[in-house]
Amino acid sequence: MPTFLTEEQELMRQTAREFAKNEVAPVAKQLDETHEFPWAWVKRCAELGFLGIPIPEEYGGVGADALSEALIIEEIAKESGSLALIIDAHTSLGAMPLLFEGTEAQKQKYLVPAAKGEKLMSFGLTEPSAGSDAGGTKSTAVLDGDEWVLNGSKCWITNIGAAETYIVTAKTDPDKGNRGISAFILEKGTPGFEVGKLENKMGLNNSATGELIFKNVRIPKENLLGKLNRGFPLFLKGLDEGRLAISAMAVGMAQGVLDRAVAYSKERVQFGKPICKFQAIAFYLADMATEIELARTLLYRVARMHGAGQNFSKEVAILKYYASEMCVRVCNLGVQIFGGNGYSRDFEVERFYRDAKLLTIGEGTSEVCKIVISGNVLA
Amino acid sequence: MANIVVCYKWVLDEQDIKVNPGNLALDTSRAKSKISDYDRNAIEEAVLLNEKDGHKVTGLTFGVAGAKQSLKDALSRGPAEAVWVNDPVAAEADAFVTANVLAGALKKVGNYDVIICGEGAADTYAQQVGPRLAAVLGIPAITFVNQMSIEGDKVVATRKLGDCTETVTASFPVVVTVLPEINKPRIPSLKQVLGASKKPVTEIKLADLGLNPDDLKRKTTVKSLKGYAMTRKNVIYKDGSTAEKVAKLVAELAKEGAL
Repeated sequence: MPTFLTEEQELMRQTAREFAKNEVAPVAKQLDETHEFPWAWVKRCAELGFLGIPIPEEYGGVGADALSEALIIEEIAKESGSLALIIDAHTSLGAMPLLFEGTEAQKQKYLVPAAKGEKLMSFGLTEPSAGSDAGGTKSTAVLDGDEWVLNGSKCWITNIGAAETYIVTAKTDPDKGNRGISAFILEKGTPGFEVGKLENKMGLNNSATGELIFKNVRIPKENLLGKLNRGFPLFLKGLDEGRLAISAMAVGMAQGVLDRAVAYSKERVQFGKPICKFQAIAFYLADMATEIELARTLLYRVARMHGAGQNFSKEVAILKYYASEMCVRVCNLGVQIFGGNGYSRDFEVERFYRDAKLLTIGEGTSEVCKIVISGNVLA
Repeated sequence: MANIVVCYKWVLDEQDIKVNPGNLALDTSRAKSKISDYDRNAIEEAVLLNEKDGHKVTGLTFGVAGAKQSLKDALSRGPAEAVWVNDPVAAEADAFVTANVLAGALKKVGNYDVIICGEGAADTYAQQVGPRLAAVLGIPAITFVNQMSIEGDKVVATRKLGDCTETVTASFPVVVTVLPEINKPRIPSLKQVLGASKKPVTEIKLADLGLNPDDLKRKTTVKSLKGYAMTRKNVIYKDGSTAEKVAKLVAELAKEGAL
């Protein structure tokens, strides 16, 4: 398959592929069942550089482009959506806002250990009454002398507990809606900053997702990230990064399902021949391959736009909407090809099916993506 | 500090080669290339020796123009520099030609103390290049090595033979061919991948090696190249006791000449 990648991009993809095949695949099913946080994987990701792919070398990262990051996430997602999501939450959502808006001191203190993979990151925006509608944020931050005092809670936050550094949003001007939100850097262990209960999710069982609680959390004044009341545009920019990563996950997971379905359809014999010899099954495989290739083509294009420094907000919303819905459709067909075995936990496609559904929801639902797309189309 | 040269071959990835079930012809049109598997063990061993005692590791390959792609791959795995003998002759080279070319390149490059090769290549697995290279250079070869160390100006290596192992010592310069069990090659990190492009590469033309035309004429001839098809007969011996079923199976295998 010609993909017009550079030698470095091919080799970085090879690194990710070897890691995914040799170290992720053999235990992915077992870990999905235990729901444990995959520390062994995360430590290897740190060693291999997967936790600082787009972060410049001067801040401890690899300094690779967005396409390289997409290729790596794609390879990992072929074996584990959970691990791909952990990397997304750490890098795209957690570390990138620090790179965009952090002061030099903040970058040295928080971004360098994050990019080296020494400290995981997490990003907290969603609240019970605020998600897509960020203006509904109820958490507050009030300046008291040289300290910000945070109160409130967050939900559906990925990497909680495992992360050492958190970027969270809070209202700093209650009267100003989206223009009254600011971003802050919180360290795990700060008094009053608690990790609440973990969600019992349908899938992506190895990514720790749940609540953060702030009870009079006092943090230094300098932990404001970016400008006061300008948290909203900052996390919109971070969400664009996240949508690219989610799309790479979608392409990788769908490819993982197609690969498994192809192998199974050649082995499974019914009515005296492998089921891939039946046109109904062969056409399912054709549909899956077609949809994946379309999404992958757009993924690489949007990643290249990002790498070229172009605004890609509209295109990444289109990509995320299409790729995530595509992944669910492909997983559905994958389970169908496996028949009864597809419904069994003994085979892996059901895990991908469960994991895939998050992709149409996280980092902006398909409906929110359509708001972004239509807004751009009508502008 | 020893100068370690690791020889590697850039081969087609056998997983990408399709076999036409009809005429058993090989379709390599969509096959990617890779560093031959056992040569990855050779590279890893050289890098491990360097990490332990501090040696200089150089990668060496003889390949066609497409083997340029292999250089960053090899360098990302740890060698400090790479030497590439670039010539179309490589496509048709057998072990005789390859050993002559590698020996010529080593003489041109000069300093070499330990030359490490994989036991055999992933495509032909002829297991010839290492010993032939030693013969051309007139130096010892230690084959089937599953453990090795460098002590002063000597290599101490354990050879895994049919029913025993033997430990041998040879003074520099020496060729060592390693078995896959000698180590587990590391996956290069992203930083190693990107760092590879900063390492020096020397490209040598075949004409600069001063070899005789006869050195470049292969000694073997490929008459045809075909995939193999594994067809199953799907015979199941169901009836009778286990002993009877085994007896039937053995009788059938004997009849077919398999036993």
